[in-house]
Amino acid sequence: MSDKKPILEFKDIHVEVEGKEVVKGVSMTINPGEIHAIMGKNGSGKSSLSNALMGHPSYTITKGEAYLKGESILDMEADERSRAGLFLAFQYPLAIPGVTVANFMRAALKSHRGADADMSDFRKLFKAAMTDLSVDQSFATRYINDGFSGGEKKRIEVLQMSMLNPAMALLDETDSGVDIDAIKIVSEGINRYQSENNGVLMVTHYQRLLNYVKPDKVHVMMDGKFVLTGGPELALKLEESGYEWLNEEKTGV
Amino acid sequence: MTTQNQDIMIPEITPELKRGPQWLQDKRTASKESYNNSPIPRRGLHLWRYTDPASFVVDKDQVVDTAFRANLNYTIEAELAHLKDGNLSAFVVDKSGRDIEINSSDNVTSDVIIISTLSDAVESHFEIVNKHLYSLVNNETGKFEAMNSALWNDGIFIYIPDGKTVEQPIHLLRESGLDKSAQFPRLLVVVGKNSEVTIIDEYAGGSETQSDNMSLTNSAVEIFGDIDSRTRYISLQRNSEGAKIYLAHRANAEQNASILTVPLAFGGAISKQNFGVTLNGEGADSKMYGLLFGGGRQHYDNHTLHHHAVGKTTSDINFKVVLKDKANSAYTGLIRIENSAKVCEAYQENRNLLLNKGCKAETIPELEILNEDVICSHGATIGPLDPEMVFFLKCRGINETDATRMIVSGFVEATLKQVPADLKEKIPEFVAKRLEDI
Ligand SMILES: Nc1ncnc2c1ncn2[C@@H]1O[C@H](COP(=O)(O)OP(=O)(O)OP(=O)(O)O)[C@@H](O)[C@H]1O
Ligand SMILES: [Mg+2]
Repeated sequence: MSDKKPILEFKDIHVEVEGKEVVKGVSMTINPGEIHAIMGKNGSGKSSLSNALMGHPSYTITKGEAYLKGESILDMEADERSRAGLFLAFQYPLAIPGVTVANFMRAALKSHRGADADMSDFRKLFKAAMTDLSVDQSFATRYINDGFSGGEKKRIEVLQMSMLNPAMALLDETDSGVDIDAIKIVSEGINRYQSENNGVLMVTHYQRLLNYVKPDKVHVMMDGKFVLTGGPELALKLEESGYEWLNEEKTGV
Repeated sequence: MTTQNQDIMIPEITPELKRGPQWLQDKRTASKESYNNSPIPRRGLHLWRYTDPASFVVDKDQVVDTAFRANLNYTIEAELAHLKDGNLSAFVVDKSGRDIEINSSDNVTSDVIIISTLSDAVESHFEIVNKHLYSLVNNETGKFEAMNSALWNDGIFIYIPDGKTVEQPIHLLRESGLDKSAQFPRLLVVVGKNSEVTIIDEYAGGSETQSDNMSLTNSAVEIFGDIDSRTRYISLQRNSEGAKIYLAHRANAEQNASILTVPLAFGGAISKQNFGVTLNGEGADSKMYGLLFGGGRQHYDNHTLHHHAVGKTTSDINFKVVLKDKANSAYTGLIRIENSAKVCEAYQENRNLLLNKGCKAETIPELEILNEDVICSHGATIGPLDPEMVFFLKCRGINETDATRMIVSGFVEATLKQVPADLKEKIPEFVAKRLEDI
């Protein structure tokens, strides 16, 4: 108990975007070694929650607390949160024209290691990470996400995660737009990274990813709230029956 | 409209300026008269909507003033070392268009490059000078072009005979004087058939702060690319913060000639620059990749021209602008394709990135396409730094300043790619300097 501080813990988080409350009081505790999944309909607030936890300026946390390894993160800028060990893989990774993947990755790693850090191992690490994720070496000199296919973008997100090796990874639909073979590659990447010392929170719509990366807990989000939390079997039930039965259950109560 | 304020007329051309044979003196006198007899362009008139022409008028005593020199010794020493190492073909220091010092590499012989002062070339290469000088920038081009045409004291002459490739760039450093100085540098480049050359034309110095006594540099550049020639011309304006700059650049590309023009501007208080290439022979191609980076209260007014005089010619312009603080920029890009010039391709793009509120950019594409058998496109954008891009980079641990720098470097990358390696090294410095106090 003493050394088992949660990796990520948030309580009663409310998020507002464009003056509208889209996350309405959610809580979660992710302990070291745990994999959690959030499922839920389009527009239920999954990305808003992930963005807000990462510190996106448009997603204001109006109420609640959030701790990374016991430390409050809500006053931190996004770059500080990243350096503190939080990572967000984007649902829609952005293109940055003119900035090569290699230069970006080097700057990112350097920011984590500190300004004076030795970077002589960078090329080797970067090459190995590309090989692991079946990313062609030519991507090193391409501009970030510029003209990348949907699946390529997601693999590059996982590559960034594997190189930065964060304590806590938020993966927002890292399986969407990825073909069947590539889901395997992406899942293997997540599993290689995952360990007893870190935490994973995946947002997904599909059981397929969860077949490869086994969640300890599945949370169902509806209209900005977690309405149900269960084990992996919950994902199977959702895949089978959709979300309607949850509505009935809710109104039935 | 010939009543002119006596105080702003060009006085009798001083003996010092009477260099050259009679024909040249006649041209100077004609130019002087054009200047004195033409009104100051009205604001609101084409190309003068964004800059007050009065900025480029000089006082009588300013013209004959002895130039003060900015301290550019550091650059000079470094470049002389480059020359010695064989990384440059020639290094020319042009002090206020008056004293011109030419340093040529030992590796380059005079059958490959002829480089001299214009005053010498008037004698030694009379025919070439007589044929080309004033044919692109002259007293009819505009009032301030007439001013340079009358008052240039000495200039630079570069001639590459037919069939020669100049491997290493020629670097020209044009120094402007300090407060109250006025200079009228002039450059004439003639690139022979199937020859190749790269010229880096760097403008530096001038007044260090803005005041009523700001230095004025009024420069004229004429470039001729003969059949099958390949010319790369980089104009790097990094004058001091109080300098006023007026530049008229014109180039001609004959059949199958290619010209790459890279206008880069980082300096100056008020800077009006006009770059133009005429495609004069089938197969001629012009590419222009410009980059401007303004901060403080800098004012930029840039014009580009691609003139397709004949058919089967191609042109491409990509002009990038980055502004911060209270800097402002106006960009006017004209593509003109003559009626008889069929089967041309012309592209133009101007993107403006505003790093904060308070700076301002305008972009005015002008298309004069007189026939329909062409492929032509243009695009322009003005916008702030994308906060989503900043967030993306911050999410990977990169702090806001570095994130901004990366995005700006990315924005200008396409332009920088066109710059020869030796000069490219210096450019991120200027960009970084502008970003320092974000
Ligand atoms: N930047 C924004 N500006 C305005 N509204 C937003 C913004 N981001 C999210 N929203 C709104 O907040 C609500 C929740 O959106 P969110 O993207 O969090 O849903 P999601 O659960 O991730 O959906 P999906 O499964 O489709 O990715 C939606 O109604 C959405 O339109
Ligand atoms: Mg989403």
